[in-house]
Amino acid sequence: MDLVTVNGLSKRYGGIVALSEATFGARAGEVHALLGENGAGKSTFIQILSGAVQHDGGSILVDGRDYRPANPDAAQARGIAAVFQELSLIPDLSVEQNIWFRHEPRTLLRTVNRKEMRRKTLALLEKYNFPALRPDQELRRLTLAERQIVEIAKGLAKDTRILILDEATSALPAREAEWLLKLTRQLAAEGRLVIFISHRMAEVRAIADRLTIFRNGSTVAAHEANAVSDNEIVTQMIGRHLDRLYPERVATATDSIALSVKGVSSGSRLSGVDFALREGEVLGVGGLQGHGQRELFQALFGATRASGTIELWGKPVSIGNPRQALTGKDGIALVPEDRRGQGLLLTKSVRENLTLSVIKRFTENGLLSRQKEAALVKEMVDFLRIKAGTPEQLAGTLSGGNQQKVIFGKMLLTQARVLLLYDPTRGVDVGTKGEIFQLMRDLASKGYAILFHSSDMPELVHVADRVLVMRNGRIAATLEGDHISEEEILRAAMLETKAA
Amino acid sequence: MSVEHTVGMAQRPAETKPTKPAIDWRGRLLDRAPFLVACLMLALIIGIYGSLQSGVFSLDELNLDTAAAMTLMLAATGQTIVLLRGGIDLSIGGMISLGTVIAATRFTDDPSTTALWALIILALGFLIGALNGLLISLLKLQPFLVTLATWSILNGVAMIILPTDGGSIPSWWVGFASAQFIGLASPVWMLLALLMFWGWFRATRAGIAIQATGSNEKSAFLSGVSITRVNLVTYGLSGLFAAGAALFLVTQTGAGSPTIGKDYILPSVAAAVIGGVSLFGGRGHLAGTLIGAFVLTLIGNLVFVLHVSSYWQPVASGVILLLSVLASSVAEKAARNRVQ
Repeated sequence: MDLVTVNGLSKRYGGIVALSEATFGARAGEVHALLGENGAGKSTFIQILSGAVQHDGGSILVDGRDYRPANPDAAQARGIAAVFQELSLIPDLSVEQNIWFRHEPRTLLRTVNRKEMRRKTLALLEKYNFPALRPDQELRRLTLAERQIVEIAKGLAKDTRILILDEATSALPAREAEWLLKLTRQLAAEGRLVIFISHRMAEVRAIADRLTIFRNGSTVAAHEANAVSDNEIVTQMIGRHLDRLYPERVATATDSIALSVKGVSSGSRLSGVDFALREGEVLGVGGLQGHGQRELFQALFGATRASGTIELWGKPVSIGNPRQALTGKDGIALVPEDRRGQGLLLTKSVRENLTLSVIKRFTENGLLSRQKEAALVKEMVDFLRIKAGTPEQLAGTLSGGNQQKVIFGKMLLTQARVLLLYDPTRGVDVGTKGEIFQLMRDLASKGYAILFHSSDMPELVHVADRVLVMRNGRIAATLEGDHISEEEILRAAMLETKAA
Repeated sequence: MSVEHTVGMAQRPAETKPTKPAIDWRGRLLDRAPFLVACLMLALIIGIYGSLQSGVFSLDELNLDTAAAMTLMLAATGQTIVLLRGGIDLSIGGMISLGTVIAATRFTDDPSTTALWALIILALGFLIGALNGLLISLLKLQPFLVTLATWSILNGVAMIILPTDGGSIPSWWVGFASAQFIGLASPVWMLLALLMFWGWFRATRAGIAIQATGSNEKSAFLSGVSITRVNLVTYGLSGLFAAGAALFLVTQTGAGSPTIGKDYILPSVAAAVIGGVSLFGGRGHLAGTLIGAFVLTLIGNLVFVLHVSSYWQPVASGVILLLSVLASSVAEKAARNRVQ
């Protein structure tokens, strides 16, 4: 018998239908993948399962008993825990306090038993072979990837029979992502049900026993994983044939240098980077994680201090801070790594997010022109096909792909023509990914110059005109034309350069 | 994924077991910078005070100063809990006034009647505070606005009960503040009790949940915390401590006052902030708040022995507050740069 059976599940937010008539069934001991574009209803579905929101219609049975958790606590009481993409961690608590939060072992005085908590933490980390973590470190000192790992530990700390992993691998470097996939199999082998959401088909292929496909707020199909092809899955996800994920690569680069970087260094992570980005070019930045890619983008945007020479459109600039970097047609704009933390104000509307950094463009004689603003916002929403009820919808309520589009819109409105895209497709569904790549090509053909980092190597291979491979804070190789392949990137990233 | 990667997360050695890491002293120092600055300020003030006035470094002085600071300390203890949760409680001003006027009109020479009314005042404090919490949760209103409104209401009620300063407090109740046990006056014992309470409270699940909610409300909710319950307890405790402050305050004044409470609203916030409690929630300790309360109280003493106009006291308090805020912001920036 299925451990979880869902029938006719529905959820509305005001006038927007987030989920309608979804069905789902999953057994104990399996890894069950949920696939679908952003906004297809996956997030709403797991929010209902984990008790974060309540459904309006339909039924859920767990163990044959009715299941309708009023809050995450009630869900946990039935053995259901979620590892959210939107992390449920507390910045001011330590790693171990976060892992055991609300389930801390206690002393006779009802206070937290620290010794016992430490012992249990180390035992948990060892049992599941976790990557190195310091139990006493405060969470806000941790990187995004480390936080994701703490979140996973937290999900496992409880007596969990059903674990939901919501794009848990998207924030992880390759090595840790691989560990998580192994862990997922181990958990299923222990008899748990793991509900696994990922936009990386290869991962789903590697670990899922079965999969359920969502589209437009409903479930369209469920398959045994080995009985369905990638193409069939993608077709069912988007409801049509996706001819190509990657747009045709048309060479649009001119000879004019948009961004020239010479000897840029920053701390120990970036030591002497030289390259030139041309007008109309998409220049990829690859390599293994942690070899200076992040620092390079931050240094160029002026978010960290750096030495060296940076020229924009032939003019030397000292890029001191993001605001300076943002100004006008000669400026630089960035799509940051952590879109929820750095890129978007989640509690502000789509309109406010779009226009926040360009408010000057709508002021006439010191007054804000609402009409002008509305016109530009509408133009951007249409151009990027942002799916929002109205421009006043809060950014935090949009799906991941649409949030990313808002950040693109915000960046384009600055009128900067040198764009820094740091992993712009992280956690974005296939359909939106395709749209983003097409957008990048379109912008390049309009004379924009784009520096593009992706943690997903095929993206670099298929989208970039040239690829810079970084190793130990330096450019280890520049790949062009036919030399751009995953193999070449890895070779340059991992092996010592041959004496040229 | 078949390729074996040579570099792990954040360039860490490729080992899987957690190792015993070196303690990050600089990080710890930066985290505690606001508290340390407060301690430094207190030492400085005591130093100047001691050089101008004889007998400052004595038990008597400790007993007197703690008594002078205790009302603020009690009020600021409640405020610290609220700030830790990421809120603010202005209504303590009204609660303190109301507490003093009830005490001044109901306390009698009969200890059992007085004790009963003292308990009623404390219970009222908790209930009114809990009501604040409930309103904030259910109506999803700003704590600032809700507690501003209840402050006004409580103030009005206090005025109705006792329009002008007056009433009487039995002398045995007044004597409590100067009563000594083992050489220390009762306020010093109360101070120690407050610290013990805090040590216990902060280590309970409820204390952690309140701090966590202040640190990130959404995360706390997703972790299963009932935000309504957190608000009830947080503001309830704040009201309870405000009522306690009123009961102590009448030992100092010997009378009730329908307007006295407002003098404790902003100082209670200031004491906490000087002591390193974050206005944005999630961070801070009572020890800092109590140091802050001492700083604000001793500034008064200092102004007195310097023989300058007493109007310099708020000026000095303001400067100290600014210095504290500056210290914590510098430390915060330094800490953030280290993470990068």
